[in-house]
Amino acid sequence: MKVAFLVNDLQLSGGVGVVVEHARQLARHGIEASLVLARERLDPDWRFRGLDEVGVLSLAEARTQRFEVAVATWWETTEALFEIDAARRAYFVQSLEDRFYRPDEPQRLGAALTHDLPVHVITEARWIAQTLEELRPQQRALLVRNGIAKDVFRSPAELGVRLHGPLRIVIEGNPGVWFKGVGEALSAVRAMGEPRWVTVVTGARDFDATGADEVVGPLTHDEMASLYATADVVLKLSRVEGMFGPPLEGFHLGATCVVTAVTGHEEYVEHGVNGLVVDWDDPRGTARALDLLARDRALRHRLRLGALATARAWPSWEQAGAMMASALREVARRPEPAAVPGVARALGDVRAAIEAQALVVAERDRLRYRVAPIERLDAVVERAPWRWLAAPLRRVWRRVRPGRVGAR
Amino acid sequence: MADWQERITRDTKPSIRVEHDLRYAAAAPIVRDAAAWADLGCGAGVAAADALGAQALGRVVLVDSDADALRQAGRDLNPRETVRVQADLATETGVAQVRSALAGGPPGIVTCFEVLEHLETFVPLVEALIALGAEGWTVVLSVPNDAFWALENPYHHTMWGEGAFEELRRLLPADTVIAHQVPLDGSHLVVEASGGTLEVPPVQPRPDAVPSHFVAAFGPQRERLVSRALAIPSDLDGRRTWERQRESTLAVLEAELAELRAYVKWSSDELARLNAPPEVRDQTPETLAQRDAAAP
Repeated sequence: MKVAFLVNDLQLSGGVGVVVEHARQLARHGIEASLVLARERLDPDWRFRGLDEVGVLSLAEARTQRFEVAVATWWETTEALFEIDAARRAYFVQSLEDRFYRPDEPQRLGAALTHDLPVHVITEARWIAQTLEELRPQQRALLVRNGIAKDVFRSPAELGVRLHGPLRIVIEGNPGVWFKGVGEALSAVRAMGEPRWVTVVTGARDFDATGADEVVGPLTHDEMASLYATADVVLKLSRVEGMFGPPLEGFHLGATCVVTAVTGHEEYVEHGVNGLVVDWDDPRGTARALDLLARDRALRHRLRLGALATARAWPSWEQAGAMMASALREVARRPEPAAVPGVARALGDVRAAIEAQALVVAERDRLRYRVAPIERLDAVVERAPWRWLAAPLRRVWRRVRPGRVGAR
Repeated sequence: MADWQERITRDTKPSIRVEHDLRYAAAAPIVRDAAAWADLGCGAGVAAADALGAQALGRVVLVDSDADALRQAGRDLNPRETVRVQADLATETGVAQVRSALAGGPPGIVTCFEVLEHLETFVPLVEALIALGAEGWTVVLSVPNDAFWALENPYHHTMWGEGAFEELRRLLPADTVIAHQVPLDGSHLVVEASGGTLEVPPVQPRPDAVPSHFVAAFGPQRERLVSRALAIPSDLDGRRTWERQRESTLAVLEAELAELRAYVKWSSDELARLNAPPEVRDQTPETLAQRDAAAP
C-alpha cells in the first residue's frame, strides 16, 4: 500500500513532527509512506527523528506516481491533494486550523473551507472528531491519537519527592504566536509570590522575557526530555490547541501542569488528579495556583504521580502507528465520501464569508467618509507654501505621535 | 506466559474469572444459535465451557498461539465439529490461517476477548474482523481498561483505555453495539444448613462507574448483546493461593535480581581492578595496611 502525506515544509513544528513519525511507523505495517512537499523547499529541513527513514518527494515527483491514499496534513496542502493520482483522499486534521487566524484574516476562511472537502477525515483528538461530525453529521471521522516517543520521553521507574528548591516551571511556545499564551504565562509567573525558576523554551528571542530566568531553544526532543525531567510543572495557557502535546510530554518525565481549559486538554488533563486547570485571562488566579504548588509539596507530588500514571497509559508511537495503519486501510476500504453535503456546506461558508466581507467593506466606506476631511486638509497642506510652513509641525508630530518606535 | 496471570484457569482469581465468564455468557445466546463459532485467543476454554456447558453447538473453531492451552480448550463443549488452529494473530499468516478455517461454511459468530492487547500488532486482526463483519459474521470483542489504572502489564503490547477504544470504535461499523463492563462488589450472608441458589437483589448501577473492560459487537446479531450481570461465589481459599503464589514468585524473582545485581557489581569492580595500573590493581586492604605500617 502506498500512501502520500502532503506537508507544506519540513520545518520545526509539532504538526509536521507528528506526520513524520506516522510515516516512519507505517513501514512496520507494510505501508510505504512518502512525504510530499506541497510547495518548494525554501529552508533546510528540521532534524526530525527518523526523517531519513522516510521518502521525501516534490509535488512534481509525486504527480508521476499512483497512491492508494493521499493525505493532506495542513489546510494549505489540500489543494495539492487533488493534484495527486490517488484511489482515496483523506485529510489528517490536527486542529481546526481556521482558529489559528484572527477573524479579519482571510486565511481563516480558507482554512475553514477545507473542512467541507469530500474526503475522508482522520484526526488526532476526540474534540476535533466530534466537532467535525457536528458540522457534517454524515461524516464519520477516524481517530488516531498522537503517540509519545517512550524511548525519548522515558518515564522514571519511581518519582522522587522534591522537598527543597524553587518551583521549576517550563513555559513552551512561540511568543510571537498569539494563541500560544506565552505572554500570559509570563504575566502569571511575574505575579507569583513564592520562589520559582522559570525556563521559556522557544526559538524566538525578540520578545519581552521579563519573569523568565532563562530562555532556551529551539530544543530537540532529547533536550526537551532532559528539561522536563528537572521541571515540576509545565505552564501552558494556550487558546488554541489540537492534541495539546507539551504537557503530556512533561507528564512522562513526572512534571505536572497548569493549563487553561484549551481544546485537547480534556483528552488527558484531570484537574486535581494530574494537573491544575485555571481560568482564561486570569494571571492572578494562575499565579495563586502556581504558588500553591510551590508551597504544598504533598499536592505537587500527588499531581506529579498522577501525571506519571497518565503518561504510562498513553500510547507509544508504535501503538499510534498501528492505529494509523488501520485507519489508512479503513480509508482505502470505505467508499469515496459523497460530494453533495460538502458542497452545500462550502457554499454556506462562502455565503457567510461574503456577508463578513460586506461588513468589512461597509466599515471601510464609513471610515473613508470620516477620513475624507482629513484627506482634503492633507491635500491643502501638501501644496508648496503650506508644506514649507507645516514642515516644523510635522517634525514635532513625528516625534510625539503615539505608537512611534522609541516613544514612551 | 504465566498461567496464573494472563490465562484463565480454574485457579484464576475469582474477580477476574467472573469478568471473563460474563463476556462469554453475554455472547452465549448468539453462539448457541450460530452455525459456526470461532473463539480467537480461546486459551484453555474455561469460561466458554462454563457459559455454554453441554449445549449442542455448531462448528467450533478454537484459535490460540499456545498449543497446550489449545489442547485443553473445547474438551467440555458439545460441538458438531471442532477445529483447532494454532496461530499467532499478530501476523498476516496467522490471521490468514483463521480466515481459511472459517471459509466455506455459513457465517456465524467470532468472539475475541482480551486478545488485541497481547498482539505485537493488531492491524491484521482488526482488518480481518471488520472484513468478517462485512461478510455476515457477528463479531464480539473486548479490550481491558488498562489506562485507568496505568497498569504496565508486561504481557500487553498495547495500552487500552477509553481513548484507545474510541480509536478502535471509529474503525468499526457505525452501528456497532458498545458495552462497558463495570465491576460489582458483593457479599453473601449464609445461615448454617441453608442451601439452594442465591437471589441477588436489584443493584442500582453507578452512572459514573469506571469500566474494567470495553466490549463491542458488530454484524447481524449485534443487537443480541444486552446488559447483564453475573455473580459467582468467591473462592477465598483459591484467592489466597493465587495471591501467595504471586507474592512468593515475586519474592523469588526479587531475590534473584538482587543476586544478579550483586554479581554484576562485583564483576564490574573486578574488571575495573584488572584494567587498572599494577600499583593500583595490587592494592588490597592487607597491602595497604602493610604499606601504612612500613611508612616512616
